[in-house]
Amino acid sequence: MKAVTGVNKLTKKTSSINITPWLFIGPHLLIFLIFFLVPIGFGIYISFTEWDLISQPDFVGLANYKEILFNHDSIFYEQFQTGLKNTFLFVLFAVPFCILVPLFLATALHAKPKFWKIFQSLFYMPSLFAISAVVIIWKLMFDVTYGPINHLFQLNTLWLRNQPYAWVSLVIVTVWWTIGGNMVIYQAALNGIPKDYYEAADIDGASGMQKFLKITLPSMKSQILYTVVLTTISQFNVYGQPLMLTGGGPTNSTRVLLMNIQQNAFGSGQSIAGIASAMAIILGVCIMAVASLQFFFLRDKK
Amino acid sequence: MGFKLLPIEWVTTNYVELLSDNTSTPLLRWFLNSLVISVSHTLLVLTVVSLSAFAYSRLEFKGKKMLFSFLMGTMMFPAVVNLIPLYKIIDTLDWVNSPLAMIVPGAASVFNIFLVRQFMSNIPIEFDEAARIDGANDFQIFSKIILPLIKPVLLVVSLFAFTGSWNDFLWPSIVFSDIEKMPITPGLQLLQGMYQSQPTLLMAGAFVAIVPTFVLYLFAQKYFLESMSLSSGVKG
Amino acid sequence: MKKMSRLLLILGTLGLVVSLFAGCGNSTKKTGAGGSKNEITFWNPFTGPDGKNMQAMIDAYNKTNPEYKIKNVSLKETDMYTKIPTVVNSKKNIPDVTIVHAERLKQYKDNHMLTAYDDYLSDYPKMTGENYVTEAWNIGNIENKRYSIPLDIHTFGLYYNKDLVEKYLPNALDDQIVTFDEIKEVGEKAQKENIASLGVSWVKPNYLSLYAQNGGELSKDGTTPTLDNAAGKKTYKLWNNYVKEGYTTKDGEDATQLFLTGKVVFLPEGIWMQNQIKQSKINWGLTNAPQLSADLSQAVNWSSSHQFVLFNSKERNKAKTKGVIDFIDWVRDHSMEWAKSGQNPASLSILENEEYKKMPQAIFLLDPEEQKTLKIFDYKYNGYVSEYLEAHGVDTIFGTESIDDSLVNMQKEVTDKIAKDKTNNE
Repeated sequence: MKAVTGVNKLTKKTSSINITPWLFIGPHLLIFLIFFLVPIGFGIYISFTEWDLISQPDFVGLANYKEILFNHDSIFYEQFQTGLKNTFLFVLFAVPFCILVPLFLATALHAKPKFWKIFQSLFYMPSLFAISAVVIIWKLMFDVTYGPINHLFQLNTLWLRNQPYAWVSLVIVTVWWTIGGNMVIYQAALNGIPKDYYEAADIDGASGMQKFLKITLPSMKSQILYTVVLTTISQFNVYGQPLMLTGGGPTNSTRVLLMNIQQNAFGSGQSIAGIASAMAIILGVCIMAVASLQFFFLRDKK
Repeated sequence: MGFKLLPIEWVTTNYVELLSDNTSTPLLRWFLNSLVISVSHTLLVLTVVSLSAFAYSRLEFKGKKMLFSFLMGTMMFPAVVNLIPLYKIIDTLDWVNSPLAMIVPGAASVFNIFLVRQFMSNIPIEFDEAARIDGANDFQIFSKIILPLIKPVLLVVSLFAFTGSWNDFLWPSIVFSDIEKMPITPGLQLLQGMYQSQPTLLMAGAFVAIVPTFVLYLFAQKYFLESMSLSSGVKG
Repeated sequence: MKKMSRLLLILGTLGLVVSLFAGCGNSTKKTGAGGSKNEITFWNPFTGPDGKNMQAMIDAYNKTNPEYKIKNVSLKETDMYTKIPTVVNSKKNIPDVTIVHAERLKQYKDNHMLTAYDDYLSDYPKMTGENYVTEAWNIGNIENKRYSIPLDIHTFGLYYNKDLVEKYLPNALDDQIVTFDEIKEVGEKAQKENIASLGVSWVKPNYLSLYAQNGGELSKDGTTPTLDNAAGKKTYKLWNNYVKEGYTTKDGEDATQLFLTGKVVFLPEGIWMQNQIKQSKINWGLTNAPQLSADLSQAVNWSSSHQFVLFNSKERNKAKTKGVIDFIDWVRDHSMEWAKSGQNPASLSILENEEYKKMPQAIFLLDPEEQKTLKIFDYKYNGYVSEYLEAHGVDTIFGTESIDDSLVNMQKEVTDKIAKDKTNNE
């Protein structure tokens, strides 16, 4: 009982110094601090050092950043350039489809066509698989000799070893794997739109397309902003698909930055964690920049 | 050789092989471990996320915008090199080989808060104001008015949190060494040989592994597709 | 009143979460992460079928009622190699004994991560060089100290389709060496029937084996790489040429699958692949990897080895270390189970086993001259070389990347990465 009265006193105080919000965000902040901020702080520190994961890190100031960004002769400069370029390309190719396909499917399902529940489950199912299973399925699908894709379309395409097919394959696999997440968000959003909006539009004689553009999309604006930003961030972190499907090939054209970061930090040779960390930090800054732009253009301008 | 996607023969033999070996691959044990981990993680995430999202979306406090942008910003750094410091923290807390190592750290994510906050922003602020005039405090507005309205999105969050922790494989294999304590996803990787590629066995395992997440989805879809009618929220 | 109940509810939830922390925290302490005192934690990268063979060996050992029983922790290879620095760094929960690949030993040693066996070996009269395959044994001897003891030596050989060899070049295997010339001869006849003479399989061992036959060395002084040279060019040129002439499988094709369905005559692959090869219906054999010369004394067969190492740990006292070595010594005499997984045990006592002698992979051990062909590429920075070959080897063989570029860049990438290693400056 004592505790309760104590808390009660606390809330009475809130009106003056307003600690209520901090009670709401406190639990998350605590976990965030311990399990995210401290490790990332360490990661930033490591980016200013030379470190092999085992001995004491040696502080080298900005040397890693200089090498990655400006030393044209260094392999790490090259790794960063191609890796970042490929990552941006992938984001550019994949994100639009990762938004539009689920949006289209969610809208279609919202009209409740026949067997919609079955379709909905089918569309959602791929996102439940771990990436290694996804890759095994699609490696079979894209196989030159035995793959059903080439068989079905009477093709002889080397999907994973030629451009632009390698990008096409990676985008297909990524969209297939990630449809579920965004689709569910859109479905929840669609269900939140009050029916009377549509009824009013019906009275005005609006067409289906008009209703979609004038009512549906604006009502889902905040969720679309969320999915665009989140999908972009997660596609910047693409790793498993190129690693296991194309191996970064042909000729490094699908080698994304995270593959280089991972290999430098935890590869089969001695670890080069300082460089890896610096690359990760710069990638993080790039993601932040892109996400801020998206916020700027998509935010609710009231 | 023609292409067969799911020949009956391998399906049955692989499942028999999977389920029959109890010492080196205690499938049922892994399954239960995963269940405990994922359910606890989901509950923790739900609590933490709904509370914070409410504050970031509807309460006013000094530095709110800046704090939230800061949280989002830091979340954008790829966490590759954080593995070692994070492990050290887990080690200091004595959580190595404990399910807590998998339940708690993931709750640091800001993305779910962002998602719930986006949904909350669609709920008219008038609802809160009306309640406040009736004498409700912030906790009451949160629990009586907002929580019932965001149920659909909380189901989405549960689904994401559950699936995410269920499918994680690198982190659990770092923090667990006891075979009996492992969750199912890294456990199933032990079935895959180092050199021998056995896609069939792995696929059989992959299908076993998605059963609970799929069931959860089937259960959840019924509810999050229920129209969240705003007016009923006010009455209730 | 209502106010209070709501508050209670929320605080209750929080309390529950907190107690969950505390509760679980305590229970962890009791079960203890370090394992019980009379137990040896044994990490290894053996999963799948290999893992079952290892488990069977451990079970058999534990049945002998040793003072210290072995607790098997099999981990996925990549996860294990990520976990090792993580755990060594935190100085707790370090495994009592670990299996690592031979190529990693120098790196671990130079980082001062390994405990040497020397103080203990006098108690184990049979744990000496003459009882193990020389190549596998010598690798554990660094600067006159013994840092590892071999479990096996696994070789990259050549699988062949007996029926197709019979058809195209019946005497190719008379000497148990298939030369590149013979592959070419078969290729010229076989391509007319849409059969590939040579499967383009895992590039790294294929490249390194031929590179060594061409007289190439990864490094002359053990540190500075020597990768861009005539031997490298010759190696790629040969493969390049065979691709152009149509003797090989094509880019993007799965050589193993094609071999299993009788569309490939020769498939260079590891002896560990036997379990998969066995499942096919073709009539197959296993022999030396493709060679330039038919002279066995010139032959090179790429090999690697699984080695038992002791990562530095305060928790491993003398008695426990002896317990570990007791186990390794027992394995030396009981490695038939490991041979069943398709591997070649490093302990020569296996050669007395009649069942083993009939196994296909025995070809690499039975004849002492054969043993000399086994070569482990133990250059300290072999890991960087591997990474490069994995990323660019296929492209270079199929000609999408020029040989000159590939070699120049390999030399540059490995050199730049080595420049970041502090252990050289000590």
